[in-house]
Amino acid sequence: MSRLYATFKYTLISVWAGFVVGPFMWAVLTSFKDANGVQGGATYLPWVQYEPTLTGWQNIFGGAGGVDVVRPFLNSAVITLVASIISLALGALAAYGLSRYRFKIGFIANSDIIFFFVSQRIMPPVVLVVPFFFLLQWANLLDTIPGLVIVTVALLLPIAVWVMVDFFNGIPRQIDEMAMLDGCGPFGAFVRAILPNSVPGLTVAAMFCAVFGWNDFFFAFRLTFTEIQTLPQAVVALNSSIPPWWTLSAAALFGMSPLILLAVWVERYLSKGSLPGVIR
Amino acid sequence: MDGLRRHKSMFLLPGLLTLLLIIVFPLLFTIRVSFSGWNVSNPEMDFVGGANYVKVLQDSRFWAANLRLVLLAGGTVLIQYLIGFGLALLVWRNVRARRLWRVLFLVPMMTTPVVMAAVWQMIFHESLGPVNDMLAKLGIAPVHWFTEAGPALAALMTVEIWQWTPFMFLLMLAGLLSLPKEPFLAAAIDGAGAWRTFWKVTFPLMAPVSVSAIIIRLIEASKLSDTVYVLTSGGPGSATESPGYYLYLRGLKEQQTGYAGSLSLTYLVLMVITLTIVAALLARAFKVPRQSSKAKEQ
Amino acid sequence: MNRKQLTKSLAVPVAVLAITVAGCSGSSGPEQKPDKPALFKPGSEISYAKYGKDYPTTKVKDVPGPCSYESISRKDYSGQTLKIISHAVPVIGEPTQLHARQFEEITGAKVEVVNVPFGELHQKILTPLQAGQPAYDVMFYPSLWIGDMAPYLVPVPKEYLDAPGMKDVTKAYLGVATWNGKVVQYPVDGDRHYLKIRTDVLADRKHQAAYLAATGKQLRAPQTWAEYQEIASFFGGKDVDGDGKPNFGSAEVTKRDDLVFSAFISRAAPYVKHPDVTGGVFFDVTTMQPLINTPGFVRALEDMVKAKSTWPAGGANFGLGDEIFSFGGGQALMSYSWDDAFIQAQQTDSRIRNRVAAAPLPGSAEVYNRNTRTWDKIQNQAPYFTWGWTSAVAKTARNQKMAFDYLCFFSNEANTALDLTIGRFGVNPYRNAHFDPGFWQAQGWSKDVATAYVNTLSGMEKSTNRVFDLRVPGVNEYMSSLANGVAAALAGQQTPQQALDAVAKEWTEITDRVGKDRVQEAYRNVVALEDNS
Repeated sequence: MSRLYATFKYTLISVWAGFVVGPFMWAVLTSFKDANGVQGGATYLPWVQYEPTLTGWQNIFGGAGGVDVVRPFLNSAVITLVASIISLALGALAAYGLSRYRFKIGFIANSDIIFFFVSQRIMPPVVLVVPFFFLLQWANLLDTIPGLVIVTVALLLPIAVWVMVDFFNGIPRQIDEMAMLDGCGPFGAFVRAILPNSVPGLTVAAMFCAVFGWNDFFFAFRLTFTEIQTLPQAVVALNSSIPPWWTLSAAALFGMSPLILLAVWVERYLSKGSLPGVIR
Repeated sequence: MDGLRRHKSMFLLPGLLTLLLIIVFPLLFTIRVSFSGWNVSNPEMDFVGGANYVKVLQDSRFWAANLRLVLLAGGTVLIQYLIGFGLALLVWRNVRARRLWRVLFLVPMMTTPVVMAAVWQMIFHESLGPVNDMLAKLGIAPVHWFTEAGPALAALMTVEIWQWTPFMFLLMLAGLLSLPKEPFLAAAIDGAGAWRTFWKVTFPLMAPVSVSAIIIRLIEASKLSDTVYVLTSGGPGSATESPGYYLYLRGLKEQQTGYAGSLSLTYLVLMVITLTIVAALLARAFKVPRQSSKAKEQ
Repeated sequence: MNRKQLTKSLAVPVAVLAITVAGCSGSSGPEQKPDKPALFKPGSEISYAKYGKDYPTTKVKDVPGPCSYESISRKDYSGQTLKIISHAVPVIGEPTQLHARQFEEITGAKVEVVNVPFGELHQKILTPLQAGQPAYDVMFYPSLWIGDMAPYLVPVPKEYLDAPGMKDVTKAYLGVATWNGKVVQYPVDGDRHYLKIRTDVLADRKHQAAYLAATGKQLRAPQTWAEYQEIASFFGGKDVDGDGKPNFGSAEVTKRDDLVFSAFISRAAPYVKHPDVTGGVFFDVTTMQPLINTPGFVRALEDMVKAKSTWPAGGANFGLGDEIFSFGGGQALMSYSWDDAFIQAQQTDSRIRNRVAAAPLPGSAEVYNRNTRTWDKIQNQAPYFTWGWTSAVAKTARNQKMAFDYLCFFSNEANTALDLTIGRFGVNPYRNAHFDPGFWQAQGWSKDVATAYVNTLSGMEKSTNRVFDLRVPGVNEYMSSLANGVAAALAGQQTPQQALDAVAKEWTEITDRVGKDRVQEAYRNVVALEDNS
């Protein structure tokens, strides 16, 4: 590799890395400021240009002037986890069926069913909020975790099906057949032979579920009152007409921390070489 | 045959029925409400015929938002694809600190759009944010990020590109890592240079991944609303309104549920048609053999 | 597929639903526990200092009465939950949180507070109310929504109306809380727009001389919007207060989804409120014909478009917070909106403390007379009683007594005295006791600043040519439409006339949608306040 090319390559990588990191750095800086550190214009160097304080961080952990983020964090975690597991389970089953069997109900065939799943992602979520409100009210599930789980499953199931159909299509059918020759029923073949080979696909599907579940704002916002608050709500609750930017930044950083760990986890699979087969 | 049917239903039906159960009422409700005058002052399911749909046809703000989506979704997805593919190529092989870069490049897609948009709002703040401050240090006049249409669109697209290029990066990198070795060996034996290898080998092999990655991003990008909501609120004027945000304004903020219902169904039909056409065009442009459903008869 | 199989496949999703339904529990009815011993002695010293460094160390005395710390601490609400919705932190959201925590400490109740951004508050409150869902017991919201909320609110019980703190609320603010003869909102804040200026510039000899030399006019607090524009453009872009950064003439709330509609009404008031014309400012109350595209409003919007050149960078997208930072932080020399920016400038940590003054909103040299369709050349002033924060108890509240006790505690004399001095809280004078310069001097304000502030505020109460908000059902839609029009004109997408014509057209549609009779009936109440009848 020529030296010129190497320089060019690392320059590009560094520029993009800087662009990626910039907003986080600004949030970190801002989270240690207070009104005086913000009002005067942009400042970068703590102690030199502004006096750092812990006010923003204190405010999100039970300070009187902020919004508590710990309970919302737990709510978000439970909702995301449960909804992801349900979506993955149902999605993997459905995807396996769609991958291995041919369905024909009137004029509806496999591709139409797959399209039905995927099309659920086309509708902007705001539209469905009002009917969901009435649905959950009827089921007495407004402002509860189960209510949000149901709604989140509707968001995540299509993603799980989409990822898994493609993945199962890539697993040779001989594997099923061999398992069946060993005396497994179709369901047994799925559990014993297919699932163990599906960890990479499930990983990608789980990542998408986690990202979209954790980051949902509009549904959680509309379908809860006071009992259940999720993390994005807790952050938006600080987006006031006089925004306390320091508290907002601290809450934002805290809220994105678990998913940043997710990025590390996904990258591990990528580097091990087990993910690549998922997308073909 | 009966046993087989039983099994295949057992696989498909739990998921399909769950989704149907959850989605059927909201969908029917939306269709029905779109023919009613339901609004904040009279939340009633009366019947006003197609009046809402006539209004949709005349709603220039809605159609302007749809046109704008060509830039906001189409433009950003194209840029995301180019950058994402480029980054994937850069950290594919022979790079130091490879895993660090890969994690770093993935991180933005993990962040919550409404939350990140709030952070970006501070960054682009015209008098207190770092962007204008650094421009000033370079002797450039402050840019009116949120008060002029052009810069506001640029700011919005920047945030979208920041947030979602990682998605492209992930799919393209996974695609690159799964490429077979043989074609590259063959090209090397032929003495093809890096540039020629890319166009003759890498790019064609990556075409199917590219098409599905672009389509998925287009579907997701078209719903753009969280970021608009926090970053620009659709302003200045209505210069950065996306259809998703406009639906939010009419349906949730102004609570014109009936009218928003007809807007959203119109939007849904429009998107399904557009995406189908775009998918076909993309497949042709990338010379991808039509992906047939791989389910075989048993 | 046979029936058995079908039931099997159905079982999974149904089971999911079943588990979730079983997960919720019913709520128990309110129970009144006997009083417990008070935690506070009469007249104890109250301070927020223990809640963190963000709070002033000021101490005030607990004023005896039914809402005092002493009285409320006798109540035993242990085992009960109070659900509250309020605006985002800090404006009204922070005092809601703070007083909720105190209420928990002294009554044993559990208080859950949810904070919501301004743009979301309306439907977040109204949707469950309309759907009959007991979502919130206590709600904090802008007082102008009374027309939408009133059907779902509990009128304030007599025992609370008789409390000394309530008796002291000024006539105008009690009027704002009243709907069809019943007080349905619990006043916690009193708001109006007024002019805020930097005296270290506008009252400075050197600057006055320079201004006189350049324009041939005296430099003073502007009396008309034209004068405001002249002064703002004269000083704009120069560093006139010597802090090394350029100053700007004016900071205004201009963000569409923020509160631009209120700023615009402030600018329009003197052009549209003719002292001799009765029967409505926004509509002709007899025909419900919108007046929003009449020449007075158009002139105000033209003024506002012109004023763009005097705003700081980003000034065309300022929310209230930006306006507060800009004036309160010493960047803009003049501003007009609520008290918050002024209080911010007067806080102990402010660089421009006691270098500011309050004055009535600018007026105009002529006012449009919609009866004769002419501009009458008279010096006109028209204070705008902008909406402020208010609170109310929902009919669906489980324990209404506890809900009212919370509000009465929230607004007791000691709490209010402290809240008034914290700019970001958004709590502004609304009781006669607050219109006392001595109160403000005790907070460290100079005598001049305190006197001018109190005179400005009480002068508004005395005026007979006042503009009130459009307090009718659907007000949010009207104001949202108006904000769209103003934003389109400010962004240069439409001329002011075109923009307001479009607004007028939408207003007619909204009126039809909401029901002309309902709007008209509600608007008559507003017009009655305006016409002093």
